[in-house]
Amino acid sequence: MSVLVLVEREPDELSAQALAFAAQLDGGAPVAVAIDGPYAPAAWAQTLAELAAQRSPLAVIAPGSERGNEVLAHLAAILDLPFCANTLTLTPGQPATVTRVRWGGSLIEEARLHGSPLLVTVAPHAIAPAQTLPEVELVEPAAHALAVAPTKRVGATGTGVSLETARVVVSGGRGVGSAEGFAVIEELAALLEGAVGCSRAVTSAGWRPHTDQVGQTGTKVAPELYIACGISGATQHMAGCKGAKKLLAINADGEASIFAHADYGVIGDLHEVLPALVDEIRKARGA
Amino acid sequence: MALAAALGASGTLAGRRTARLLALVRAAKPTDRSGDEAIRARNELVVVLGQRKLLQRFWPGLMHAFVFWGFLVLAPTILIAMIGIVDRGQTLPWLGSQGWYAAMVDLFCVLVLAGVASAFYVRKVVRPKRFEGSHKGEADLILALIATIVVSLLLWHATRIALGLNEWPAAWSPLSRLLSHLFARDETTRVLERVFVWIHVGTILAFLAYLPRSKHLHIATAALNVWFGRTAARGRLEPLRFEPSEGEREEDLRFGAGSAAELTWKEVLDAFSCTECGRCQDACPANQTGKLLSPKLVIMGLRDQLFDTSEGAREAALVPGAVPEESVWDCVTCGACVQACPVSIEHIDHIVDLRRHLVMVESRFPSEAEPMLRDVERSGNPWGHQQAQRADWAAGLGVRVLEPGEAAPEYLYWVGCASSFDERARATAQATARLLTAAGVDFAILGPRESCTGDPARRMGNEYVFQALAEQNVQTLSGAGVRKIIANCPHCFNTLANEYPDFGGNYEVVHHSELLARLVAEGRLVPARDEALTVTYHDSCYLARHNDVLEAPRALVGALGTPLPMARSGRETFCCGAGGAHMWMEERGRPINEERVREAAQTGAGTLAVACPYCTVMLDDGVQSSGQALRVADVATLLEEGLLRAQSEAQASRQASG
Amino acid sequence: MAMHICACVKRVPLTGGRITLTEDEQAILTKHLGFTVSPHEECAVEEAVRIVEREGGSVTVLTLGPPEAEEQLRDMMAIGAGRAIHLLSGSKEWDPQATASAIVQAITSDEQAYDLLLFGNESADAGNYQVPIRVAHALGWPCVTAVKAISHEGEHLICEQEVPGGRDVYELSLPAVVSVKEGINLPRYPSVPGRLRAKRQPIVSLAPERPAPRLEMVRLMLPPDSGKQVQVLGHGAEAAPAIVEVLGELGVLP
Repeated sequence: MSVLVLVEREPDELSAQALAFAAQLDGGAPVAVAIDGPYAPAAWAQTLAELAAQRSPLAVIAPGSERGNEVLAHLAAILDLPFCANTLTLTPGQPATVTRVRWGGSLIEEARLHGSPLLVTVAPHAIAPAQTLPEVELVEPAAHALAVAPTKRVGATGTGVSLETARVVVSGGRGVGSAEGFAVIEELAALLEGAVGCSRAVTSAGWRPHTDQVGQTGTKVAPELYIACGISGATQHMAGCKGAKKLLAINADGEASIFAHADYGVIGDLHEVLPALVDEIRKARGA
Repeated sequence: MALAAALGASGTLAGRRTARLLALVRAAKPTDRSGDEAIRARNELVVVLGQRKLLQRFWPGLMHAFVFWGFLVLAPTILIAMIGIVDRGQTLPWLGSQGWYAAMVDLFCVLVLAGVASAFYVRKVVRPKRFEGSHKGEADLILALIATIVVSLLLWHATRIALGLNEWPAAWSPLSRLLSHLFARDETTRVLERVFVWIHVGTILAFLAYLPRSKHLHIATAALNVWFGRTAARGRLEPLRFEPSEGEREEDLRFGAGSAAELTWKEVLDAFSCTECGRCQDACPANQTGKLLSPKLVIMGLRDQLFDTSEGAREAALVPGAVPEESVWDCVTCGACVQACPVSIEHIDHIVDLRRHLVMVESRFPSEAEPMLRDVERSGNPWGHQQAQRADWAAGLGVRVLEPGEAAPEYLYWVGCASSFDERARATAQATARLLTAAGVDFAILGPRESCTGDPARRMGNEYVFQALAEQNVQTLSGAGVRKIIANCPHCFNTLANEYPDFGGNYEVVHHSELLARLVAEGRLVPARDEALTVTYHDSCYLARHNDVLEAPRALVGALGTPLPMARSGRETFCCGAGGAHMWMEERGRPINEERVREAAQTGAGTLAVACPYCTVMLDDGVQSSGQALRVADVATLLEEGLLRAQSEAQASRQASG
Repeated sequence: MAMHICACVKRVPLTGGRITLTEDEQAILTKHLGFTVSPHEECAVEEAVRIVEREGGSVTVLTLGPPEAEEQLRDMMAIGAGRAIHLLSGSKEWDPQATASAIVQAITSDEQAYDLLLFGNESADAGNYQVPIRVAHALGWPCVTAVKAISHEGEHLICEQEVPGGRDVYELSLPAVVSVKEGINLPRYPSVPGRLRAKRQPIVSLAPERPAPRLEMVRLMLPPDSGKQVQVLGHGAEAAPAIVEVLGELGVLP
């Protein structure tokens, strides 16, 4: 039995991960499918529904991106089938067993997935991307009564390095103390050509806009280095930065939970550490 | 007769105005200031008659005391003068002819004039900052009127002596007699005698009509205000009700003071008693560090709003109409203003009531405090930490955590949120726990079942959230059969001891420094003193000023090292800046904590001792940011070090002799 | 033009820094935890209240949850929802399909006809990303997710969906289903008069039958320990040189 995998027309990293996931299933080589048309989730889902009706796959897989989750949710609604979002592992069976992500990654659920085909999106970065990618089958989009497509795209507001793509993110939490306190965070971020992030407490306090918020309900970042300053390490924040390759935590409280997630730690007041760090970096560059 | 007409005019003017003031008081919201009559009477004697609060600043206090006592002594002369107007030859029976009374009158005339003269000197030459914002012209007028009254009295007496009309032996009034030499026994003097008595009485009657329209109203209201001031539990805020009582509608419920109509009668009386002296302004740590807040201007602003008769003034928003919004939030509820006020105005009540309305009705407050309000309500502590980890500080110390259903220990050690979660304040709880264990005290902590007492929410004005926390904590404490509590933090101490009784929680509460001092005094903990350890002790506002806990921490410091007190200590202490929920609010102007740290450094001490987790954090922050070489440590930490010192000294001497 | 909106919320625990499970691994240990409305959803209710403040209409808040979820309904009424519907879920979890059908049942049988259903994009705990979409299909209404701005123009709802690099603008005809993301607004702090009013408001309580789950939770597990041991580079400002060394090793020093 085949496995259908919804990918981007130009498969990106998440698409490659979904393909790797699909390849692990016992359904044979995955069939990579991309929709040849503008994005309209209900229509894309209808397309997949018709494809599934024709090919009776074991499973329809998509990356656990916003788009992947949305399309497959529509597909599940159309086919009246259960759908398992952000899946870590899938073992086909009667019923299939899955493990999936809860709480942005701080908890794992083991569940039984009924129905056929199995509708599953793959939790981002839970599996290494496939090395070789199969040819992508382009499919004409079907129509769906409820399909809505965007009428236009508006550009991102805000200047500077984008949080999603920055190689370095310097992030501040409650410990920064005030809106003005972020000046040193901004300075360090600028020096490292990175982006400024913050925790939810900071946006609640009105010190930074929500667009800076990193976390389960904010932006999820995957930089080379995430520098968490004055951030305690609440699970909902960690959900946003666990994609980081390396995490440096700077916190005055040596017992803060963030140190359990950090690769490197500095125990101290960020208002002392960061200025010293900025000086050292300038010195190193000057040298 | 002319006098009757003058009396009538003055009386009517004064009476109408007084009626209006009374109406404002009667129309105000209720508050309970009943009971404790003995203490109230004592306050009248000490504060009013004895001018004790005024004498907190000795020379200006003495100056005012002269004028006040002069007013008391000279009061009968008003009657004497009025009788004298009606019948030149008559006076008050008996008193009018007493030599000793005449002597007192002469003396107090001089003292009053000395007072007025020094007041003018201060106002015109010295020009202290505390008068900024006060109505200086009005003050000058009042002083001038007082001077006129006294001078005209002296001159009247002088002319009566000169005319031989004095009913008292002239020798008893040396100044009047001296002045009488200016006047011959002739027709001019007869005329002048009438002139002076009319000036005297006329000025008094004019003053009477002016009195209730000016800040001099305080001579009537101050005594009343002192009577109705707090008699106990200075740190207790009056609770609000969120359920209408019998016959009350929900719309009548009062959630603080949003408009003049919502002030309580005590707040109205406070406003009527303000003399614009500015001592509160001087004492205010926010004002001292360049912030907008002036407690004096808050009270004056409310008073002016009360007197405003224009359309809609009574319902108009007090903030920012009468009081700038910034001022409301600058306050750290340290109580220095209340302490300084000679007429027992309770400024904190006003500011908290303004906050209550802003927070609970308008949801208008500094946004940086919103996470604290949400966390304290939903997570049980102001930082949103997990309550399950509340006892983590005690890991490995063998501290008993009281589980539901277990018998209560002798003492419940109430640790508080700061010492449970803050990395610096934790040291205090750990030291205290070790000390209590070493002394064999039977104690336990509640751990995760201990929620925030609600102090930060209450001081911010969120009475609703505070009461929910209070009720929950009382249920936990009383349900566990707790009788005695050791409070680690002065804010918890204040709330548990003074405010929880309003919610059915009556416990015997001591601060950790009190119990530790008692253990040292009883010899159950024996520290060694290190003379070279120079310590300056910073009194926590909530311990010293609100609750009179002064001696115990000092006893500890004295037993551990060499105390080098700061000038502003004891009840005169200068706040660390964290009170009034300021631990969670941003500060404008110069930082209060750095101001205090500078003062501490000036004593030359190497250690800055504290007894409060907020003070620990704020003053340590202040030391870091101002680069002073001071070590900030709680008295419990220092005591533990003293004990270790004693042990190592004992060991050393054993080794030496062994 | 008056809008009648129903906002759906879920009661979730405030997990803080560490999650602990019950012994039977069926749930998070919530003994000392506080609860709240899931963050995206609180913004959904706030958005509903703002729309109705501007244009008139009504806001109903609905939840499928245990009896304790009444706390969340009252919290949402305190910020301005006029009505509340409580679908009692019993002690077991409902999977997303069952949740959606219970909501659809409640909406269609409600006396109030709705123009707009607002949801949070995904719940903080289970994060299934599908309930709003299922509800939309069942009702035959169009649906847009991950919305960061909503405005009303004539018969259409203009929704901005957050996508990498910007926002896609959708025009929806009403009635519609929209799921929003935190950041669309900053929810207001409830006033005490609001809370008191919310306390007195009656809540419509229904007890739907829980169908057999088709995404059936077997147990919960904590993710395996990353095995990370933090390397402490130092204390305070003195750690700066060590940090710079690490930055160099990681190749992030420009």
